[in-house]
Amino acid sequence: MTTLDHSKPMTQSRTRRDFIATGLAAMAGAGLSAAFSPAFGQAVRPADRIRLGIIGTGSRGAGLATLIREMPDYELVACCDIIPENLQKGLSLAAQNAKGYTDYRKLLDDKSIDAVVIATPLYLHYPMAVAALQARKHIYLEKSMTYDIPQAIDLVKKVKASGLVFQIGYQYRYYGLYHRVKEIMKENWLGKITHFECQYNRNSNWRFPVKDPKMERAINWRMYREYCGGPLSELCAHEIDVVNYLTDSRPVKVVGLGGINYWKDGRDTYDNIRTVYDYPNGVKASVTSVLSNAYNGYSIRILGDKATVEILRDKALIYPEITNNAKGVVDGVTGATIAVTTQGKGVEVKFGKPGEAELEPTVFALKDFAECIRNKKEPISNVETGRDGSIAIHMGNAAADTEKVQYWKPEYSA
Amino acid sequence: MQSRRQSIGPMMVVMCFVLSALRPSAVPRTYRITGQAQGTTYAITWYANLKSVTQAQIDSIFKSLDASLSIYQPGSLISRFNESETGIEMDRHLAQVVEKSMQIYRETGGLSDITVLPLVRAWGFGVKAADAMPDSAAIRLLMPCVGADKLKIEGSRLVKAVPCVQIDVNGIAQGYSVDVMARFLEAHAIGNYMVEVGGEIRTKGRKLPGKEAMKIGIETPSTTEFDAPGIREVITIGDGAVTTSGSYRKFRESGGLRLSHIIDPKTGFPVQREIISATVVAPEAITADGFDNALLAAGIDGAFEILRTHPRMEAYLIYRKPDGTVADTASAGFGRYIVPNADR
Repeated sequence: MTTLDHSKPMTQSRTRRDFIATGLAAMAGAGLSAAFSPAFGQAVRPADRIRLGIIGTGSRGAGLATLIREMPDYELVACCDIIPENLQKGLSLAAQNAKGYTDYRKLLDDKSIDAVVIATPLYLHYPMAVAALQARKHIYLEKSMTYDIPQAIDLVKKVKASGLVFQIGYQYRYYGLYHRVKEIMKENWLGKITHFECQYNRNSNWRFPVKDPKMERAINWRMYREYCGGPLSELCAHEIDVVNYLTDSRPVKVVGLGGINYWKDGRDTYDNIRTVYDYPNGVKASVTSVLSNAYNGYSIRILGDKATVEILRDKALIYPEITNNAKGVVDGVTGATIAVTTQGKGVEVKFGKPGEAELEPTVFALKDFAECIRNKKEPISNVETGRDGSIAIHMGNAAADTEKVQYWKPEYSA
Repeated sequence: MQSRRQSIGPMMVVMCFVLSALRPSAVPRTYRITGQAQGTTYAITWYANLKSVTQAQIDSIFKSLDASLSIYQPGSLISRFNESETGIEMDRHLAQVVEKSMQIYRETGGLSDITVLPLVRAWGFGVKAADAMPDSAAIRLLMPCVGADKLKIEGSRLVKAVPCVQIDVNGIAQGYSVDVMARFLEAHAIGNYMVEVGGEIRTKGRKLPGKEAMKIGIETPSTTEFDAPGIREVITIGDGAVTTSGSYRKFRESGGLRLSHIIDPKTGFPVQREIISATVVAPEAITADGFDNALLAAGIDGAFEILRTHPRMEAYLIYRKPDGTVADTASAGFGRYIVPNADR
């Protein structure tokens, strides 16, 4: 931008005025904090940091704590976990005098806590979120939102009545890569889109080590239907949410098949599931998780009649369709030269602003959570989008369980 | 005897094959050779009773063009000129392209200038993509190397005034290549053809046996660098050439702005003009291709100024209006090429 401005004197002077304005604002800010703080006579809470508690400091909760520790928006003042090692890990990442709890209700009783992150097994999301709302805490609830459909519907009502900020941990809604893909779709780079192919595969048993056999179900809750919906609720949830986000809609119906076909280790959640969701206007989304193959583990392919976009973890590629353009109507076409190198090969999608730091998508989600709390805004990943994701997940599992088409019922989103 | 019979057998087979290949068919057919060259695609189509030209011949001509004009080939004649201190001896291809370029440079008030290569590189449109955008200081440093007035043709020698002068004929070489191919077809008694290289076209005659005119679509500017083209207008030009220069396919994005690959040799910065695409019809492709970039860089008023002094050239311009909508305009004589909707 600035490099170009030099060619245009008018733009240059405008830029210079902008610089002067921001320069003054920055100076004023510096002056304020130096001059006014002593006048108030008491230590202001450091830059209005949000006092945060994390309920559940297992692998995901501790991961969030690691990111939160680096963020000036938050002060992590409390952690809760029933597993001592997890609690220790969480506290080691928290503020110096942070409190540790094994009972989340005690953490919620602390009136000085503004907001909580809930990163526990899925079956605990609903009771904990309801309790946190009652305790008047803003909530960042990890995905997926609820264990079943009635909980999802009820939580929408409770959150709306509370007036509190409630964000679901679908961080890809905050990631520039997905924003750019959505833009590209709007600009019709892909043409008419009829299908999304989503997979979240891995080649592992998806287990965490267990020292005490009594702790098997507490640690490896992902293996058991009593606690969660398996790969669909714990892995593919992101992709279902991404399709909802990119199409600004939710599924109409779903078919599915699932099985435990590889890891016959006592689990009762699927290790091999494929569902096909039907969205408005006939758009289909296949959502798959196979736990015995890791090729392109996480990927979403968007199939349009002009091009395909393949979204991977931290990049996306466009594969243009090779069409024999308007031949037949005309004998030749004159136009700007098409480089052969871009035909049939993937072109990487550029996203993000120049010079912008590459951050873990979750950081953008947590930043926005702080922003929503400060300015009383509704998060982009909110209780309604969370509900849509959760209901879709449950419909998908139900389709595989019953081998019957599951339909979105009007009362789900009434 | 034995040995003689053995050798006659295969020979008779070969002779039969040759005779049938040479015998003109009763009805003219469509022959087409397609391939990749010069970093893009080409298609050569002709209507005749006989396939008198082969892909191997076409490819060998492209090879000789690349060996002379390609800045992507380290050992090419043009690359050797760029690396040289004072200049080099030109071959036929380079001499024709440079001579025409110098003429267009003079006739466009310097808007079309083959010495922009250092700038093209700095803006990341060269052989390698640049890591960062250049600032005005970096551009200022390059300006002493830019300007076709620093080039001189002395007999068959191309001489540079300063060692850092480097040339890039990509803006005209495709058009020239189209003319070379057309001359090659004509030398083989082909009188009804269409030569297309990367969207630059030359046609002669009609499609046989039906004697229909050859229809050429003018591409709708696309939003991406790989879009399959749509057709905005359909034209027929009879015996002549048509080329298009567009800022819509090759660009870099910087701070939300699209930087055109066409660099203004006077400022050193990418052209920021309202014209998105300039289509030029001229008797020869080298002329059309040589002028299309300049029209794009000149803006609407400047483009019409250039066209006024070149009565044998017509142009169709697609541009963006200040309110963001896309419109088109054309020189008065262009209308006669346009095929009405009903006839498409």
